[in-house]
Order: sequence, then structure tokens, then C-alpha cells
Amino acid sequence: MTKQLTTMIAVLALAGSVSAQTKKADGLTGTWNMGLQGGHVIPVALVLTQEGETLTGVVSMPTQKIGQTVDVPLKGTLASGAFSLSGTVEGAKDPTTIEITGKLNDEGMLEGRVVMSGTSGPHGDMPYTAERLKERK
Amino acid sequence: MKALSRRAVLKGAGATVALPFLEAMVPARRASAAVDTAKKTRLVCVEMVHGSAGSSAIGIKKNLWAPAAVGRDFDLAPTSLRSLTPFRDILTIVSNTDVDPANPFTAKEIGGDHFRSSCTFFTQAHPKQTQGGDVSCGISLDQLYAQRFGQDTAIPSMQLCIENVDAAGGCGNGYNCVYTDAISWAAPNRPLPMIRDPRVVFDNLFSVLKAGGTQAERAERLAEDRSILDWLLSSVARLQKTLGPADRSRLADYLEHVREIERRIQIVEARNRSGELRELPSAPAGVPDSFSEHVKLMFDLQVLAFASDVTRVFAFKLGRDASNRSYPESGFKGTFHETSHHSGREDKILNFARLNTFHVGMVPYFLEKLQQTPDGDGSLLDNTLLIYGSPMGDSNLHNHKRVPFFMAGRAGGAIKGGVHLRAPNETPLANVMLSVLQALGLHDLERFGDSEAAYNVEHGQHDGSDRNQAEVLL
Repeated sequence: MTKQLTTMIAVLALAGSVSAQTKKADGLTGTWNMGLQGGHVIPVALVLTQEGETLTGVVSMPTQKIGQTVDVPLKGTLASGAFSLSGTVEGAKDPTTIEITGKLNDEGMLEGRVVMSGTSGPHGDMPYTAERLKERK
Repeated sequence: MKALSRRAVLKGAGATVALPFLEAMVPARRASAAVDTAKKTRLVCVEMVHGSAGSSAIGIKKNLWAPAAVGRDFDLAPTSLRSLTPFRDILTIVSNTDVDPANPFTAKEIGGDHFRSSCTFFTQAHPKQTQGGDVSCGISLDQLYAQRFGQDTAIPSMQLCIENVDAAGGCGNGYNCVYTDAISWAAPNRPLPMIRDPRVVFDNLFSVLKAGGTQAERAERLAEDRSILDWLLSSVARLQKTLGPADRSRLADYLEHVREIERRIQIVEARNRSGELRELPSAPAGVPDSFSEHVKLMFDLQVLAFASDVTRVFAFKLGRDASNRSYPESGFKGTFHETSHHSGREDKILNFARLNTFHVGMVPYFLEKLQQTPDGDGSLLDNTLLIYGSPMGDSNLHNHKRVPFFMAGRAGGAIKGGVHLRAPNETPLANVMLSVLQALGLHDLERFGDSEAAYNVEHGQHDGSDRNQAEVLL
């Protein structure tokens, strides 16, 4: 029984390691469910495409009205495991720039910070974690 | 002597009142069969939004929702369910289940949890993201039951709510408001409207058959503050002459109960029409400003409906997602939405637990009333199942894991009760609901929502699933 349990633990540990490597190998391309930690956790969609070290994507940022979002196109790069993305909210009175920095951790999740700033000054600086969305029909 | 029909009613010019169960309805030679007929299981499906404090990491450790012990020796004292202690023998608490259909399936659905959750709870189905009329979700548990067993009552089922649900069109994140407001779905494209005004419920229950009642007559009744019983005096007198002493007493008690509820509604209407400043200025006159007064009235109406067998199925929505209502009667004055987003801080989680405790604390009132109401050779409580829960788990994370859920009642013996079951991780709540539907008589139902297998609500095992093995290994 003890041997069976030991074997099972070893297999599970190996499976976990392989799983994490597989997630890393997928790169950043895909849909991510970001949790912006701004007081409570605000779910935000981040859709990324990775081509080599170049990143493009869209983040759907919540507006002040509950239930409404604005899509912000993003461009960025990936270097030495860390990435940075930036974009501008179009049509805003005070043009707001969004910068997202972070890295892919060993659990296959993104973690980092989102910084928003406008001509009038900083609008916010929040940590986040993001997990890959299992897209389903 | 010929037995009185179970469908017999008291008729007046503007109202029709169904009768409670009376001994005169039992044919002498078929007494047991008639009593069995009275034992139709009543079903009440209650939804509360925003999950529970006990679904957060700290809340799980502190047992703010689910008790620490599984099995029959559970302690409700630390939990938000503690007011249910007098009814622990009929409680079935199932913890650690998920409502995955409430999760986002696509990028566009991320962030829409508040607008999508309620429709998923009793359907366990994922809604189509649309603001138009092409809505689609699933058939809800209450409707599956009503469609099978509710067709021989005057009203197959009723849907009640406490908060405002009359918003039209889109509510947010691309979702039609019916996904936020309707918990009862007769078909995937047929959400059922919810009734918020106790006056409307009362009139539906007692005027729905409308024996000669006109809108003008009902308006006259309202204007004169008259009772529907005034129209039934001769009908009641005729019936009383045919009844034995026990039935006469039971009928008198029942009519007094009808009158008492009607009087409470009239008092609320008079207060709300007096010009005094209201806490809920946009609510109909029949809606009490007090949450507990409103909920209790709605529960009393459900007891009346069950006693008179007008309907056997209710869906009852206690709150609305993202509501900023406060509940000063709970002893905590913070607003609901903000309090539920507790930032993972223990002090705020404990405040949210106070609100959860207050909401659950409404249920014992209902159970007591059911217990006090005769039904066949027992009480209405013997023949009722109440299901209470939320499609959200940790509202601070907007997740749908480890959702709060319990049932009260034995449903005429179909459910044993007196147990806390902790399901294996990632068990769909739909597995539990499938088991409940089967226990209620839908034996041929093989799937419900995203169910994988029926989760036995007596001893906590899955039927024919490898999840049982996982539970043992973990």
C-alpha cells in the first residue's frame, strides 16, 4: 500500500511538472482571464498573440459604468521571460495609456502589474494574476 | 355521504378561495389513499446572489458556511446556518460543489459574472450571450418538477422575488436582463417573470379563478379596504353547515390566516401611500420597505398556497446581483455589493458573513409556519423540500467554486436529511440537483445541466462515477 502511494505521488509530481512545462511551451498566445486586484478582484479579458518576441492583443478594460467595457489594442514584446504591453484608450477625453507588465509563472499563470496614466496624472496601478481561459462553445 | 372534492372552492363575486385539506375530502373507504393524495411534495427553490463569506479562503477555515464535520455530527454554531439548528434533523448541507456553467466560456464573456449567474443556478446551464430576444439558457429544476407534477393544481408554479427585476433590454457585458432577473426557466428560451408585489401574489392565489370578478370590482375592494372574505360570507356559511367540528375549526383558522395576510398587505399599502418618505420609493405600494417584512409576507403566501393546494412549486429570488441594498435589520449597515467584495480581508469577510447569516435567518420562519400547518396526517413541512443556495462562491473573486447550498425538508420521505456532505473537488452542483430531481420522482432523468452522475444526497457517493475513488485518494 505504501509503495503504491509512493508511486502515485511520484507520478502525480511528474504529471504536474510536465503540465507546467506544456503550459509554458504554449507561449502567451490565447485568452487570459485576468483578475485585477483593485480592492476586490475585477475579471478582465486579455487576448494575446505571440510571434517570436512580438506580442499583440486586446484588453477589455471596465469603465466606470458597471457592466461596460472598452477594448484597448495592445502591442509589446517578450524578453527574458518578462513581457510588457501598452495601448491607449481611444476616444477618451483624457487619453489614457495602459501598460501591462508581467511574466508567465511555473503554474502557467500570468502575474504582474497594470498601470494606467493620463495627461492629468496616474489613474491606477494594480497587481494582477491571469489564468488561461478554457474556451468553450 | 359524498366526500368534498379536493378542488372545491369558496366563490364570491370577486374572488375564489381554494380550500385547505379537510377531513371531509377523505372518502370513508379510501381514507389512506386520500391522505396519500394530500402528500404531494411541495418544492421551494430559493436563490441568493453573491455567494457566501464561507466560500472564501478565510471563510472556509473559519467554517463560516459549511460546518467542519461531515456526516451527522456537524456543528452549525460557527456557520451562517446556525439559525437552522432547530431543524438540523431535516437539513442536507452539500458543500464544495461548483457551478461551472456560470463561468465565462469565451473572451467576451469574461467580466459578466454578475449578469449571467442567476439564470444558471437552477438550470445549471450556460446562457447564450445576447442582449436581444434570442435568449437561451436551460430548463430549471423547479420547472422540470412543475411540468411533471404541478399540472393538476390551479397554478403549476409561481415565481417570486424581493428586489426590482423590471429592467428591460441589456443589463451589462452583453447580457439580456432576464439572465440577471429570472431564475425559473420553463424552456431554454422561456424565462418566467418574477412577482415582487405581495398584493399581486395574493390576488393571483385567490382571484386567479376570477368567478365573476372584474377589474372594477377588485379596484373597489382596494379603495374600500375590504376583504375578499366579505364576498365569501354566504359561501362559507353554506360550507360550514356541511362540515364536522374539526373541519369547521380548521376552515376558520385557515380563513383567519388568509385575512391576517391580506390585512398585513393592506397595512403596507396604506403606509406606502401615505406620502411618508420611503426607503424604496420606486417599489410598488404592496412591497414593504423592510426586507424581513417582505420576505416573511412572501413565505406566508407560499404557506397559504401550499395549504390550499393552489400550487405546489415556488421559485424565490431573494436578491439581485450588484445590488447596493443595505440590511440594517442584520445589525450591519454596509451595502451588499460592496460588502461582498471583501478584498480577502478577515474583518470584511466577517461583515459579509453577518449578511449571509441574516438572509439564511429568514428560512426558519417559513419552516415553522410549514410545521404548524396540517397536511394529510402530518404537516406541510413533512411534505416540502426547500432548496437554498447561490451560483457564486467567493464573490470577491467572482468565482463559482465551493458555492453555498443546503436543503431543508424530507420531501415526504424522499430525502433523509440530518447530514453534511462534502463533495470531492470540482463536483458539479448539477450532480446534486440531478439526484434531488430523481428523489422527487423524476426517476428517468439521466442528466441535468452539466451533471456527470447523480451525487447521492444521503451518503455522499456518486452513482457510477470515478469521482468516488478520487474522494478516497484525496
